[in-house]
Order: sequence, then C-alpha cells, then structure tokens
Amino acid sequence: MQIDADASADVARSRSPVTTRWLNSLAGGAECEGKGADHAPAHDSMRSISDEDVLGNIAQFDRAFFDPRQRFKHVGAGKLGGKALGLAFADTLLAESFPHERFPDVEVSIPSLTVLCTDLFDAFVRRNKLDGLALDTLSDEAIAVAFQKGDMPAEILGDLRALVEQVKVPLAVRSSSLLEDALEAPLAGIYETKMIPNNQPSADERFRRLVEAIKFVWASTWFRAARDYLRATNQSHDDERMAVIVQEVVGRRFQDRWYPHLSGVARSYNYYALGRVRPDDGVCNLALGLGKTIVDGGISWSYSPAYPANPPPFNSPADLLKQTQTTFWAVNMGKPPAWDPIRETEYLVECGLGDAEDDGALRLVASTFDASRGRISPGIGAMGPRVLDFAMLLVLRELPINDIIRALLATCSEALDSPVEIELAMSFDPARFGLLQVRPMAVSRDRISIEESELDAPGAIVASDRALGNGKKSGIRHIVYVRPETFEARHTARIATEIEAINLRMAGAKEPYILIGPGRWGSADPWLGIPVAWGQISSARVIVEAMLPSMNVELSQGSHFFHNLTGFEVLYFSVPSENARPIAWQWLERQQAIEETALVRHVVTQAPLDVRVDGRTGRGIVRADASGVRVTDAGS
Amino acid sequence: MQTGSHNAFETAQKQFDNAAEILGLDQATRDLLRTPMREFHFSIPVRMDDGSVQIFKGFRVQHNDARGPGKGGIRFHPLETVDTVRALAMWMTWKCAVVDIPLGGSKGGVICDPHNLTPRETEQLCRGWVRQVARNVGPVQDVPAPDVMTNPQNMLWMLDEFEAIHGGKYPGFITGKPLGIGGSQGRKEATGYGVVFTLREALREMKIDIKNTVTSVQGFGNVSQYSVELIEKMGGKVLCVSSWDQSEKKSFTFRKASGVKFDELIGITDPFGGISRAKAQEIGYEVLPGDAWIEQDADILIPAALEHQVTADNVPKISKRVRIIVEGANGPTTTEADEMLKARGIFLIPDFLANAGGVTCSYFEQVQCNTNYFWEKDEVLGKLDTKMTSAFRAVHEMSKKRNVGMRDAAYLIAVSRVAQACRDRGWV
Repeated sequence: MQIDADASADVARSRSPVTTRWLNSLAGGAECEGKGADHAPAHDSMRSISDEDVLGNIAQFDRAFFDPRQRFKHVGAGKLGGKALGLAFADTLLAESFPHERFPDVEVSIPSLTVLCTDLFDAFVRRNKLDGLALDTLSDEAIAVAFQKGDMPAEILGDLRALVEQVKVPLAVRSSSLLEDALEAPLAGIYETKMIPNNQPSADERFRRLVEAIKFVWASTWFRAARDYLRATNQSHDDERMAVIVQEVVGRRFQDRWYPHLSGVARSYNYYALGRVRPDDGVCNLALGLGKTIVDGGISWSYSPAYPANPPPFNSPADLLKQTQTTFWAVNMGKPPAWDPIRETEYLVECGLGDAEDDGALRLVASTFDASRGRISPGIGAMGPRVLDFAMLLVLRELPINDIIRALLATCSEALDSPVEIELAMSFDPARFGLLQVRPMAVSRDRISIEESELDAPGAIVASDRALGNGKKSGIRHIVYVRPETFEARHTARIATEIEAINLRMAGAKEPYILIGPGRWGSADPWLGIPVAWGQISSARVIVEAMLPSMNVELSQGSHFFHNLTGFEVLYFSVPSENARPIAWQWLERQQAIEETALVRHVVTQAPLDVRVDGRTGRGIVRADASGVRVTDAGS
Repeated sequence: MQTGSHNAFETAQKQFDNAAEILGLDQATRDLLRTPMREFHFSIPVRMDDGSVQIFKGFRVQHNDARGPGKGGIRFHPLETVDTVRALAMWMTWKCAVVDIPLGGSKGGVICDPHNLTPRETEQLCRGWVRQVARNVGPVQDVPAPDVMTNPQNMLWMLDEFEAIHGGKYPGFITGKPLGIGGSQGRKEATGYGVVFTLREALREMKIDIKNTVTSVQGFGNVSQYSVELIEKMGGKVLCVSSWDQSEKKSFTFRKASGVKFDELIGITDPFGGISRAKAQEIGYEVLPGDAWIEQDADILIPAALEHQVTADNVPKISKRVRIIVEGANGPTTTEADEMLKARGIFLIPDFLANAGGVTCSYFEQVQCNTNYFWEKDEVLGKLDTKMTSAFRAVHEMSKKRNVGMRDAAYLIAVSRVAQACRDRGWV
C-alpha cells in the first residue's frame, strides 16, 4: 500500500460508495461531492467536514444510553474530536457495508456511547476560570486536582445523572481531542482514558465516579506530556479542545473482575512483514483482557490475518511459553480501591492467567503446553501451563473472529481508501465483537530504493532490513543514544527522564534528532524498554531499537505509539542483537558530546547524516558518509 | 398582594376544582383539599432602631401535609394578604406532589417592606416570626424557606431562634441557609435552573433549538437571574428583563438587542433584584416601561416576578412569535388569560411544575441536613435536573394522554397523588 509519487497520479483513487454516502450525509450532499476530489483519500476530505454537519446527523442524547437503533449519541453542540469522529464513521460503515449475514452468530457493532462535545470542555474551563492556571508551574497532579474542584456545566448534569441511573456496567471514559487521531497530528495515547466499574449500588456514587473520570480526562488535555508534545510539534495548546466519549466496556463480569475475552489491534498494512507474509496481508495483535496490554506495548499474540494458523517465529514451544501473555488487565468490580481520582488505573487490576482460568475465560483463547512431549495443544482440556495463542479461534476456528477482522479491515480500507488500524474487543457466550476504533494509517509517498548491498557498504551507522516507515530525512546532525556499556534494565525509568530533558531542549531549538536505545521504546513495562511517552521523545525523527544482549525482546508493538510514529513519518529501525550489521557504537563514542551522563549521550556530527528507509523492502540505513566522516567500526 | 380584582386564592381554588372535576374526586376530598388544614395569624412586635415599637402582621398557612412535613417559603412584602399566602400554600402542596418529593404544602408571610428595615430590625422580625409559630413548625412538621424578599441570612436568624427555643440543633428546620451552615450547594441556582430545565424539555418536544430562540423575562430576582444565566449558557438569547425600582415604586424593562448578559446585569443589581437604571443605560441597555417585557418579539416569555402579571388585558399584546410561556413566578397567569393563551396555542409550563426546582433543592438540603452529609454542587444539580425532567415528561405524557393543557395535566398528577395520600391515611 506504499504509494509511489509517480504512480499516485495514475491511480484513480475513487472513493467507495459507502464513504461517499457517509461523507455526503455528514457534509450535506452536493457540497461534499464537490469537495471530494477523486484523487484524494477519503480521510483528507473528512478533515474538511464541519462538526456541525456531523452533529446534525448524530442523535442527541435523549437519556437512553442503550439503544440498539442508535448506539452513538452526543451531548452539547461543539466538536466531536478525532476518536469520536472515527467511531461515528465506524458505526455508519457497520450499518451500511459490513457483511453481517456472514457472521450470524456474532453481533458486530460499536459499543454504545455518548460523546460530550468540546463546547462542554470549553464551558467547564471558562466557568471555573481554569484558563488562568499557570500551567508551567503546576504538576499534572495539581492540574488534575484543580479540574476535580471545578463544577461541571449545569446543562449536562441531568444527562450524566440519567446515564448512571440506567447503566450499571463498566464505562470507559475516553479522550477525543480535536487533534487526537487526526492524520496530520496524531496524538493517540497522549491523553488519558479512565475505566470505571460503575457498579456501586448507589446512583449517587456512580454519578460521582463518572464526573471524576470526565474531569480527569479533561485535565489530561493540559498534562505536561500533552503540552510538551504540542510544543514539540509546533501546535498551539490553545487550539486543543477535548471531547469525551463515555462508552460501555465490552466484556463480562467474572467474580470481581470485568474484562473482554480478548481485545486486539489490527492493521491492514504490516510494516514488519516477514517471510511469505506480504505487507498488504496486515497484522493483528490479540490479548486477553482489556486492550491496555496491547496499547501499552505489553506482550500480546501477533499474527497475520492472512495466515492465522501460523505462529510467530519462536525458537521452541518453551520459548513460546516465555514470550506470550501471562498477565492481563481487568476492571476491578470488587472492593473499592483507595480513592484516587487523578490516577488512570484507579479502577484497573492486573491479574494472572490463573485468575482467568478460575473465571473460565481461557477456553477459547489458551492452549496447553505438554512438557513431556514438548508440544502445545489447543485448548485447556489437559493439565499443564497455559499459553495464550488463541489457537482455538485462529486454528480451529471455533468462532470466526479472524474472518470478522479481515472483513472489517477490507471494508474500512476500502471506505477510507487507505490502510487502516482498528481496535476491537470481544466477549463470548453470547459472542459479541465490539469495534472500538478505526483510523487511517499514514504512509509516505516518496519512492526510496535501497539495495541490500548498500546495507553492508562502509559508512553505515545503523543498517537494518527491519526498518519501519518510508522516506528520507536530511539535515539531521544530532544523535541521542543510550550507552550500551552502562545500560541495565533497572535504569530505564531514569533514562526516560534524562531523554525527556534533552527532548525538551531539542524541541525548543526545533532540532530533530536520531534516538537510539535498547528494547521497546514506549513500553509501559520498564523491563522491556525505555518507558517514555510519545511527548517525551517527540522531536526524534528517527528512532532505533537496539536489541542488546541484556534486553532482547520482541519488536515494539505499542499501538498508539506506533500510530504517532507513522503519523509523523518518523523512521523506525529495529536492530536485533543477532543482526549481522550492529550499530556503530564506537563511532558514536567518538562524536562530539553536547551533553552526557553515565547512561545517555547526546552527540552532534560535523555534517548532516543521510537517513533513508525503503518501506517496500523494509530496508533502512543511517549513513555518515554524507558528512565526510569515516566510519571505521561500522559493521565490525 | 391582590392586584385589581384578582384574588390568588380564588384562582387556586378554581384550578383545583377543575382538576377535582376531571378526576371525579369525592366531596370530602374536595372539601379537604380546597382549603388549608391549618392557619396561624399572629402579630410580631419589633422594637425599631428609633426606639418605637411596630407591630407586624404575620401568617403561616399549612395547606396539606398528607405526603410529608409542610414545605414553603416566608415572604416579606408590604402588599401581603392571607389569601395570597393560602393560595401559595396550596400551590406548594401541588408543587411537591408533581415533582414527587415527600413533602406537603405550606406558606408564610409578613406584611412589611424590608427596604425600610435595618438589618437589626429585620433580625428581630425574623426571630419574632419564629417565636410565634415555634410550636407548630419544625423539621418533622413544617419546614420554612426563603421567598419573596427573604434571604439566607434571614433563615439563619430564624434557625437560631428555633434552636434556642427548642434547646437543640435542628438544621433540618429550615432550608435556604447559607453555605457552610447547613445550606446546600446549588440552592441559589435551583429555581431558575429548574425553570430552564423544563423549558429545555419543552423545546425538545417542539424540536426547537434553544440557540435559535429569543426570550423575554419579567423580573430580575433569584428565579429570573438564574434562568437568564442558564439560558445564556445554553446558547439562547435573552432579549430583556424587567426589574422593580424601589425609588420610583414601579418597574422598568431593560432591553439589549444583542441579548442581555447575566454577568453585566448582576453587577449592577441590588440584593432585592433592582437593576440600576443609570448604570444599565451606561452599558448600552434600553430602559423601557415595566410592562414592555410582555410585548417583545420573542419566542419564549418567562414571567418570574409576581402573581397575576399575565392578564386578559395584556394577553393581546403578546407577540405572535411567542410559542412558550414558562411560569417562573407563582400564579403569574389569571384564569381568563390562561384560556386566551390556550386558544392561541401557546405552550404553557405551569408555575408549580416550572418553578419546583427551588423546593426540590430545599428537599435535598433537608435530606443533607438530616444526614449531616453534604453533596457536591454537581450532584445536587444533576439530581435536580433528573427530577425536573422526569416531572416534565410525566406531565407532558398526561397532557397528551388526557388531551388537556399542561396546567391541567400537572394538576391531575399532583391532586391525584395528594388525594391518594389522604385516602391511604384514612382521612377521607
């Protein structure tokens, strides 16, 4: 799906009939037809649609939350924000184009939701005089507390009250900012989402928790990571507005937990296609429990929807056992935790596979390792360690989940005329498939060509055949890297802080840089990589995952993190430790340091570096020869 | 406060008789409900600051307490009459019943002009009022509240006197107290917001966006102020408000073509709701005669001042554009005017439904006081909205089901609930 600049003009990118109808219905017919240049992807035109038009086509919240005829409703008259707009699109698409008849035993829908539009955020900020806060002097906690103290706009309180009086299942309170999930400025994962159990017997209690969660998500608009991020990307914090989605959490209650049997992220384009898998076959990650596991870059099951029965390349079943999911996230429905309205995970609980087995939730998602024979059998009929490989679904097809994912990817890609990423959650008995998000994936149109021989040629600082993205970067002279000789996994949080400080200075100077470090960038687990949020490394334009012997983990799969990378056309290199072309660490050590600590070094080269990635082949290279510097240890 | 030939109590009785007829109530129930169960008439001696003693005439009327302790405000007004208080006590019974809160209906008043009283004299009047009825009111008998020209400070003096007489702490004796001393968050906004919550539901039924509406409001006291504030927040335009001028002894209408602004007006308004004419003109308001509010080219009229303001005489002056009248005040429409409005097809939200937000919040305050646990403002207003919305929807449903106007529908619901409570108790 990479688009050649030359070829793009030849490709008649006619919009699908569904998208055209949707856009027309939202934009008011003829005007949208006129806007819809046939050569532009659908999402380009989506950006030009006014929210007023969209709102006119979405039901106003009438105090009935669960309404199978209208799952998508709104309160207020402002804008919906990127995420909600995506969901509105998904809802329309599911109603009009999805082949439901192929899956008679599975309900495929978006979970019921109500969007609080951005005008309510504006009113809350203005009426509580929060726009006068000296943000730069306040911690995130102080901002969150200031928001918690504010009064909600009186005009929505009755709606919220009515909502909690009829809904007693967990709710996800999700951000939907103006800039979030927009293709031009991806902010996925920058803002907070809060899950609340919403199961207290008292409606008063449920109301309070919902209001706290909404204020928390609103406050996250101004959290430091978001402000730094906007500053780094030359966007004005003043332009940002937050809508909030209040959505039912797909899942079931198991004892004191609520979670879906599985959640997942699927992409119609696979930047990491290996072996016989083609990029267009896409890629899907599945996990037990809430999607937080995948979004945070935790361990999940990755497979190609075209070859669902093919396991990822593990060395042995024992290796597979170690590299599959062992914990999962659920909403805590039991004893209330310590009150902490400004903590995102206040009502979440991380559980082990044993808990899920007790819950009877593993039947269709786990297999069993037979140590005596050294093999893994689908299902949990036998005793033995459980492996979350979803074989009952993907190999034995107990439910057509992979077919649904493929159908959704195809439908959405066609409608948006672009590769797409979807988020999903599913519960069984009865089978319900919830589509949580649809967003287009960004692709560069440059045509880059890198021959394999070039990767081995002298002058390469980093060379990889597992690069991500497409295009070239010129003019970069700064490199920030984690020093391999002093690196230990226990230092990752400290490293994140040091890099954040450097990033802030680089953002202030509007200077791009190459970031090199071990493990998964953006991992929420500090033992798997440097646990940075995107805002902390937002000025990096090239990111290198250097697999060190002390941290040799799978590739980065953090969905939101990934979306930011591709959206900003950040080039991403993965250099496994067994790679024949290691990073030129000695050359880096010789470069002039602007600042350095025991763990991190920031260097500047004499002349700009040459950075290129060929998205079609996955080959990428960072070369120093453009600067005239001889790289003596490259490849050694 | 009878104006002209109108008697508020007669109006209230006519309205009740109509509902009783439709409901087919038996004679005993009619006799019980068309007059108050108890009335207290008393004199309150107050030593004035100049050393003289003045005797003020006070009332407390308890119309019906079958559904719970009586509830109703205390009015300080120079034109107060017992018939007005009787009518208002009866309307309180219906008001509590229509929003389905477990309270009965009462009302009190003192014939006085607070403009002419010093704070010390006012305090003595408040304490004197309580001394006269201390045995007949209380958290489980009859719970007073602020009303026309009484305020939270007055309530606190009354509470203090009540507690001194009874030798204990009874924060649930009276509502509308100041915040921090037993008052509820959201109380000051409650009545005005309640008016707008019902207006919003009416607009929703009529498929009208509030952003496309123009409203004209009579009065600028507590109800009017917070009605104006919330309409403005919701994006509607308030073209004008009227206000009583104490020095001129008449009212004026303050109009701004671009829409009045709550923040602007509140800054030039005295504690009794009087807007400074000079300052209003300085900031671009037109000052018109007091009754001009009813003639404006608006979609919505909110009479939120006193009784009998919409009459057979001025209904013809109402613009053809007007679609909705929301009765923010108690009894602002005469029976004749009511019929004329019906004939014109104007959607009317009756007083004891529209302005029930105040008593609903008072009920919340009492609940909070009795449990000694106070809620956040968000929680109070959220509950208020759902109560008001549910009440509106029930009345509207009844109106459609029985093919009657909103006032009759509200009466049918309220009277039948109270009558049922009387029957359940074995009174009738």
